[in-house]
Amino acid sequence: MATNDRADVLVIGAGASGAAVAWRLAGAGIGVVCLEQGDWVDARAYPHWRADWELHRHTDWSAEPNVRRLPQDYPVNEQASAISPLMYNAVGGSTIHWSAHFPRFRPSDFRVRTLDGVADDWPIDYATLEPYFDLNDRMMGVAGITGDPAYPPKSPRQTPPIPLDTLGVTIAGGFERLGWHWWPSDSAILTRDYDGRRACVNCGPCDLGCPIGAKASTDVTYWPKALAAGARLVTRARVREITLGPDGLADGVVYYDQAGRERAQKARAVVLAANGIGTPRLLLNSRSARFPDGLANRSGLVGRNLMFHPYAMARGVFDRPLGGHRGPIGCSIISQEFYETDLSRGFVRGYSFQVARGLSPIASANGGSIGDRVPWGRQHRRAYAERFDRTINVAIIGEDLPEPENRVDLDPALTDAHGIPAPRVSYTLSENSRRMLDHGMARAREVLAAAGAREVAFNPLLRAGGWHLMGTARMGHDPAASVIDAEGRCHDVPNLYIVDGSAIVTCAGVNPTSTIQAVALHIADGMIRRRS
Amino acid sequence: MTRGPLVAKRDLLTLVLDTLVPAAEEFPESGALALDHVLAMAAASAEVGLLLSRALEAIEEATQADGARGFAGLSAGQREDVLRRVERSHPEPFEALVRHAYDGFYSHPATITRLGLEPEPVQPRGHRIESAALPDLTRVAARGPIYRRA
Repeated sequence: MATNDRADVLVIGAGASGAAVAWRLAGAGIGVVCLEQGDWVDARAYPHWRADWELHRHTDWSAEPNVRRLPQDYPVNEQASAISPLMYNAVGGSTIHWSAHFPRFRPSDFRVRTLDGVADDWPIDYATLEPYFDLNDRMMGVAGITGDPAYPPKSPRQTPPIPLDTLGVTIAGGFERLGWHWWPSDSAILTRDYDGRRACVNCGPCDLGCPIGAKASTDVTYWPKALAAGARLVTRARVREITLGPDGLADGVVYYDQAGRERAQKARAVVLAANGIGTPRLLLNSRSARFPDGLANRSGLVGRNLMFHPYAMARGVFDRPLGGHRGPIGCSIISQEFYETDLSRGFVRGYSFQVARGLSPIASANGGSIGDRVPWGRQHRRAYAERFDRTINVAIIGEDLPEPENRVDLDPALTDAHGIPAPRVSYTLSENSRRMLDHGMARAREVLAAAGAREVAFNPLLRAGGWHLMGTARMGHDPAASVIDAEGRCHDVPNLYIVDGSAIVTCAGVNPTSTIQAVALHIADGMIRRRS
Repeated sequence: MTRGPLVAKRDLLTLVLDTLVPAAEEFPESGALALDHVLAMAAASAEVGLLLSRALEAIEEATQADGARGFAGLSAGQREDVLRRVERSHPEPFEALVRHAYDGFYSHPATITRLGLEPEPVQPRGHRIESAALPDLTRVAARGPIYRRA
């Protein structure tokens, strides 16, 4: 087997967290090699340049690897899961197809056990992460406006907020009439040119990628700077297992290169950034006499406590055009009115509302995230006209609590193209989450009605909504109750780090990428500090 | 393997598409606009081709069960009745048929134009958003912090 030169640090995965760590370490003079199973996405390859762009959302540009089935994807057995995991395998990872809604976790999100008596506290807090939130915001470029009373004061946003347009102003009116919190979303999408990147032209489908680099996928934010600082990125390199030296420390990986040849990459430290499903998959596939149940898994918690953020969807239909096809698809307004625990609601913890844009022509016909297709036949034209460009979608994004039965393990039969066992996902929606989403749907009906909707439809649980993969190698002080420590080191293998969503202890009620990246930068700085 | 039967039933498929999305107002029926897309999807995926073939076979069977000589000989209302029966008896193939019909119809430039949108790709043109005044955020801020200090 060919063996590459030994790296100081090997990073596995070039997505949101891997890119941030590679940049930070390379900037400190540390020799970084990153192995990524996907490739660079050519800006000219995005569907936005084709008239039939919307058709690609459910085929080769689907967020579901089981639908997309590209050579760089691996299959996921999701038969026992109520939610389908979504991800993208490329330089930039899932930031290629995310909507770039960019809220942070709040201070209380790191003290869930102390404040609410459930789940666990994080071993780090908001104050520890705050400088990393700010650093990450500068690297990604955030559109927004300060002063949101849902958060401690933040540093100035890099560009003004995404324009609300008719749709956003309409739903803001609903929140105002009810006296509920709302605020223009923090979005990792530029509304002005910034840091050598172009401003958004409001084309719409950010979920299919951004061909002009206005949206902050890490292939256009962190990676150019990481490479300039000396990091080396190897694409089409699929890692099979992490290897151990005789001292019990990680000493590298075995991977398949672009030609399918088995190679070894040695390193003094290994950083896992392969997402909340890919990371436990790799650990569980790295068995040895020392770790017969999977690497760094003496706690038995690798793969357990999977959290997704269950989504319920509400859609209001209005009597006038709203221009919902214009502007970034996932971003206009956030509301955290029902975010903190109020036990009188019948559940613990809380949720956010994320108000997205309207539906494009095909999605309008097929019902979008609600799934209620417009009827066919002679009533079709009238029914379609009543819906197209007249809808506002409100997503209820609930805080999942960590539960060990929700997990990732290895499928006994299914493998990827290289014969590596595929992940198997088991996930059941908890009663607490169900009550939370039900509460959110009732409140969404109120706010849509207050904004003028004449009818409201719901999807009580979005199956194709597993954007956020979290908790499967969580952080903590106790080696019996966690996989990594507060510095991201595996308790069992102290030169093996985990920096992706797997590290998350409790998942809050907001999108996690901003927090995942802040945690990754915090862990990188610990590595730099200990080296020096 | 799957493209052949579908192409051979091109006339039936066109009539079925026309029934799913009939002409209305200034919009044409979907047979003219969605047919090429549906055929292309059947050709690209054996799974899709099989589903669509099953849907057409079920439509033919349901037509014959009515004693009719062919789908083409039915009135618009009778065609809808046949399709509703097939929708109930063969939900998965029928759902695929409707979905691909809608995909083809609502991605066609002629439809996009009639919806009042530009039929060209969304890049590089993007969309112009008129700058509306941001609603007054001072009222939201004035309600005070809503986060817990941990």
